Amino acid sequence: MSRQQAWFIARARHRFAMTRECSLLLPHVCAALADPRQPGSDDTCLEKLLDWFRELTKFDPTVELVQNNPCLTEFITSVLALPEPSPSILSFTLRLAGILAASENRFQHLQQEKLLVRLFGRDGPLNSALWEDASVRSGWVEGVHSMMHHQPALHFLCDGGGIDVIFTLQGDPSLFVASAASQLLVHMLTFSVESEMTEPLSTKDCDWPACAQMIIKHIEDSLQSSSSSHIEQSLKLLTSLFGSCRATWTEVLWLGIAKQIESFLTEETVQVQHMLANLLLRIAWSPVFCDTKGSIWALVTSALEHLTPVQAGPLAVGILRIPECPQDVRIQALTVLLQPMDCILRAASQPLEYAGLLDESVSDPATVESLLSSKSSCVNLLCQTLAHLEKLLSLIRLPVDLPYMSLLRSLMTILQFCNGFLSPASPLGSTISRILINCFRVQRSALDVLAALSKQKGCDTLLGSLFDVLLAYLESPNTNPTVLKKTFQATSKWLVRLQELSCSNTQWQQTKKILEDVFLVLQKRLYSPCWEVRDSSLEFLTALINCLKDQDEFRQSLLSSEVPRLTENLLEDPESYVRASAVTAVGHLAFITCFAPESPAIGNQYNKENIVAKLQEILSTDPEGFPRRAVISIFTKWLRQGCTGQLEDTERFVSRVIQTVEHDLDWEVRLGGLELVEVFCSQTFRQLGHPKCTYAPLSSVVTSYINQNESLHVFCRAKVFSFLFQSLCDYDKPIGQRACDVLLGLRYTFYPVRTLKDSQGAEDSRAGPSIAWLQRTLRQGSMAQNFPTDGDNGVDFQDPESMLLALDIIDLEDLHDGLNKSSDHVEKSPQSLLQDILATVGTIEENEADCY
Amino acid sequence: MPEIKVTPLGAGQDVGRSCILVSIAGKNVMLDCGMHMGYNDDRRFPDFSYITQNGRLTDFLDCVIISHFHLDHCGALPYFSEMVGYDGPIYMTHPTKAICPILLEDYRKITVDKKGETNFFTSQMIKDCMKKVVAVHLHQTVQVDEELEIKAYYAGHVLGAAMFQIKVGCESVVYTGDYNMTPDRHLGAAWIDKCRPDLLISESTYATTIRDSKRCRERDFLKKVHETVERGGKVLIPVFALGRAQELCILLETFWERMNLKAPIYFSTGLTEKANHYYKLFITWTNQKIRKTFVQRNMFEFKHIKAFDRAFADNPGPMVVFATPGMLHAGQSLQIFRKWAGNEKNMVIMPGYCVQGTVGHKILSGQRKLEMEGRQILEVKMQVEYMSFSAHADAKGIMQLIRQAEPRNVLLVHGEAKKMEFLKQKIEQEFHVSCYMPANGETTTIFTNPSIPVDISLGLLKRETTIGLVPDVKKPKLMHGTLIMKDNSFRLVSPEQALKELGLAEHQLRFTCRVHIQDPRKEHETVLRVYNHLKGVLKDYSVQHLPDGSITVESILIQATAHSEDQGTKVLLVSWTYQDEELGSYLTSLLKKGLPQSTA
Repeated sequence: MSRQQAWFIARARHRFAMTRECSLLLPHVCAALADPRQPGSDDTCLEKLLDWFRELTKFDPTVELVQNNPCLTEFITSVLALPEPSPSILSFTLRLAGILAASENRFQHLQQEKLLVRLFGRDGPLNSALWEDASVRSGWVEGVHSMMHHQPALHFLCDGGGIDVIFTLQGDPSLFVASAASQLLVHMLTFSVESEMTEPLSTKDCDWPACAQMIIKHIEDSLQSSSSSHIEQSLKLLTSLFGSCRATWTEVLWLGIAKQIESFLTEETVQVQHMLANLLLRIAWSPVFCDTKGSIWALVTSALEHLTPVQAGPLAVGILRIPECPQDVRIQALTVLLQPMDCILRAASQPLEYAGLLDESVSDPATVESLLSSKSSCVNLLCQTLAHLEKLLSLIRLPVDLPYMSLLRSLMTILQFCNGFLSPASPLGSTISRILINCFRVQRSALDVLAALSKQKGCDTLLGSLFDVLLAYLESPNTNPTVLKKTFQATSKWLVRLQELSCSNTQWQQTKKILEDVFLVLQKRLYSPCWEVRDSSLEFLTALINCLKDQDEFRQSLLSSEVPRLTENLLEDPESYVRASAVTAVGHLAFITCFAPESPAIGNQYNKENIVAKLQEILSTDPEGFPRRAVISIFTKWLRQGCTGQLEDTERFVSRVIQTVEHDLDWEVRLGGLELVEVFCSQTFRQLGHPKCTYAPLSSVVTSYINQNESLHVFCRAKVFSFLFQSLCDYDKPIGQRACDVLLGLRYTFYPVRTLKDSQGAEDSRAGPSIAWLQRTLRQGSMAQNFPTDGDNGVDFQDPESMLLALDIIDLEDLHDGLNKSSDHVEKSPQSLLQDILATVGTIEENEADCY
Repeated sequence: MPEIKVTPLGAGQDVGRSCILVSIAGKNVMLDCGMHMGYNDDRRFPDFSYITQNGRLTDFLDCVIISHFHLDHCGALPYFSEMVGYDGPIYMTHPTKAICPILLEDYRKITVDKKGETNFFTSQMIKDCMKKVVAVHLHQTVQVDEELEIKAYYAGHVLGAAMFQIKVGCESVVYTGDYNMTPDRHLGAAWIDKCRPDLLISESTYATTIRDSKRCRERDFLKKVHETVERGGKVLIPVFALGRAQELCILLETFWERMNLKAPIYFSTGLTEKANHYYKLFITWTNQKIRKTFVQRNMFEFKHIKAFDRAFADNPGPMVVFATPGMLHAGQSLQIFRKWAGNEKNMVIMPGYCVQGTVGHKILSGQRKLEMEGRQILEVKMQVEYMSFSAHADAKGIMQLIRQAEPRNVLLVHGEAKKMEFLKQKIEQEFHVSCYMPANGETTTIFTNPSIPVDISLGLLKRETTIGLVPDVKKPKLMHGTLIMKDNSFRLVSPEQALKELGLAEHQLRFTCRVHIQDPRKEHETVLRVYNHLKGVLKDYSVQHLPDGSITVESILIQATAHSEDQGTKVLLVSWTYQDEELGSYLTSLLKKGLPQSTA
């Protein structure tokens, strides 16, 4: 066990330990829970109680827990004795018993008391009327799953007939129970093989352990049955098994069922084809099928042929990501993905105009054509295909070369079908265009792929027509807001591509024209009555500035448009989200206006003071949090980039901001203020140099040290300390934590070498009454009222000497630990949980129904 | 047979996070996407893996509908749309869309505040999610796609709460969300028309309760506040920024006005101004009284309620403070509580649910010695009161809604199993409809028997009317015509119009039959005998003897020839169109019986 693991275990043990207080409370809790006269406890309490037992037993296999706390077995006994326990308590009991029986010792202990057989055996709940309740069945499965970590448990279940119950539960009407039963079988099969096999299996002589044998026989029988639901259950189980277990024995299991699985591809009487793609994918991914890889690829090939295009899509995209996928399979998978795109292209083209995406000899397009010409399947097939293509294009390393140019052309065609700009003469083309017109789903998916395609090279000759399509979407009043947002995203990505190109060749005229058109349409969109559109437009502008601010043509086109002026107008938008986005956009615009090295001569409106004043105004007066958060975040960004001018200007700027944000009602604005202070401090140190003092100062040295230390003076003048110390007492804990971090950072800089203090909280002899007061106040944490700003209580936060002393004397580490212990007051200790359950007994009924 | 499937992922036999999947006529809709505040791990969200196993979420789900802004109905939405990956349309009413982000932000703050919290949405995600939302008006039919349409109805409960009708073709489901059938101080009662859905999915929080009037609870609340203030004590009311808070503010404001009380009332959060702003903005969603008096006096402009400053908590004398958060687990409400808890003159009134582990939960369950940070023990001497103001329909209200909507089936969610069971029986007895109550993860399948509406062409209707078939709602009549299925609709038209519309040529289909008659006479004599016989029998029909020797009865043609081998046998060839099938069959059977001897 590594040291780190050991540390985690020790921590977990400590946190969830069965303390004396807990062991005193537990019997009462158990008695209350088992008392049918008491109203049921809150479900979350029972869940949390189980969480605690899980933690308690995780690293402790001994029988101590149940021996030292006999109330646990008594509780189980008394629940079993109840004529009609509530389903939730019975379910809880089953799960609790399973958790306790997870170790062999405790399992034996519970067995001796005959509790497990009464809970999980034939005469237990599974033969009572309560079995009708899904929560009881779910509790039973979960209980069995928890205990299934040792052979006695395995035998207990298999010998007692419990395994048949699990087989039945695979088809449970509750999705949750059915899925849990399937997971349990996977776990049991894996556990049985791995714990009970002494010799590795050979493919010829499959001598499975008894439990595994039962499960495998069940799988084989189900696969051969004529019931689709039985076959589906087994396929689900196998998919989950091959996905989670990579042991070599899985190959032996596979060989036994491969033929049967293969037959499902062509079988018409049972319809389980839709489940095969996932199963085959898991198998193809599994590294254990080395010897049989050839036959697996043959099966995959057959699946790609026989499954419908919609069913085969996930398999195709999945196997394309497998590095060792053979070339011919890869081509076939690609064909599945590209065929719908190919059909679209052919349907829209004049004969012989364009070559399609695919060589027609590769596949027969008839199926795809018929799917695309039907209203119900066309949209589905296209959306799925597009989603797969997006997934493929988003891979960092594309495993295949795609015909990017044709793909782009096909995407453009789809988008033009959707907005009615293209209605081809061919019968298929006109059918598809009629189906797709105004189809937002396809538009969204196509634009996602378009954005992903911008990373690929080789589409450059189509850029002109691509922007025609994009601009048509940006301009059209019919474009749905979500589609518009995606159009903006795709446009910004392709504009970056366009800029890269225009740098390297002489296409700048085209680029200029496109940019002008984009800004023209952006202008209109900034006026939109729909706030979502205005917001997306501003986000688009910010994204563009972020990527292209260094490009001359971009800057010129932007500044010669109306966009900057309109953006500033939106600082007064009625919708707070829009105001926030406008703040961010204006903040970014400043990088190419007033903060640019060669500020363009475009009038007074881009005057730095004007912009700062406007944003300051928003920070102090906007009634909502989002715009104020945006301002503080922009200010921090400016500060980071060194845009706020010389140190003196910056000091004044920071001081003003601090005074505005320290009383802000929004905790994130205050947090933003602390971030700004942190950046300011590190920049000041960078500019003025770090303090040179490396020892705890004596008073005579202090004075000269302070005098020399310009940074300290700057911080005091900027009122950094009053903000930081005050924030330590903020009732929103993250503020206190952050302020403490910043103060600790300052302390480490001013006192790089420190002697450790011996006693916590003892007042330092050097502390005058004011700093001592500060020390005491800080210990009260968020309870501290009327925290002084300058002047009150004698603490002068602008006095460098006092502040240096405060940094040294106040036990910031201790404060830091205290603040980090819990950042809220939700008590998570087991003791508190037990107390709460006990206290709730008898009072809950009145309150519980009140969900809201 | 067509079917509707309903699978609750949450709110199935529990009052937790609502999330119900409905499949109707090939469309999949998610109703609400709530979170459970009692957990701080994955259990707080519905388990969406059951949907993702059906392939891409956006392909599987046609839309998500949110009934109202409470977090147990919308809290998982940003997680679902921005983290799980649903990219399709989301529908909610205008007020819900405006208020939802406030609550989500409020909750996000509490959550990110906790150490080690991961897998939670950011502020940007809330905004991106809200941008995908399509806001709807009450009673506006919104076309999600060509087949699926939804319509919102007023639900009371909270500002903007709506019931939704989901309709595909002639099959429909109504989902109530949370609703209230009695008007309260600021909202009206839920209402729905007699839409006769195939299925009504109703909440059943108070399935077995007949609630005492809310007025009583309000009086009780005012009495307690008044008494405390009168004896110089301070009252703390921990609330979430929006919802209950506004209701209680109106209550206190009017009481203060009426009783001319002077003790200050404070509201501690900046969010409330925004909340009040929304109540003003969506005044049409409030009840009639507020709407009526709005012109003279806006209920949400409070004279007595002022903004709170943290220094006020130490002021001497009585006061009432609304402070966030509502469960006393952090922030200002907890800070004030700690200050005031030690004085028995003071009072804290908890107006809502508290999660286990919070101070709110502890004091509600009667604990009076609380261990705070640093192992300090806080002794709670102040009075602790719980007041439920939650606005749900009680058993009577639920029955009333069923009576209003007349559903063919009912399905109960958002309630406790035992109570649901009771209500289920009551519904089945009284309304003779099936009632279901699936647990989470269980699928209920309801078979529908949709009646298919058919339009009738005016021409056909006129024609039928001229022959005396006057339409009458009470007396259904048989009508003949040609059924055309075109553009997803059915129409009954005349055969001529059908031919014209479909561009088809007419083909006559005739049935023929040979009847052998023993008659040694010449052919024309046999024909004459047949003619006379038919004329005698079929007095109301037009029977004609044509010059070519054939006989017609309406469209039926009869010709006679001698048998090639037996001259004493005559063969009658009878042919008729399918419209005269009945007459044709009758004639054939008549002729088969032979001709009467007396016929000359």
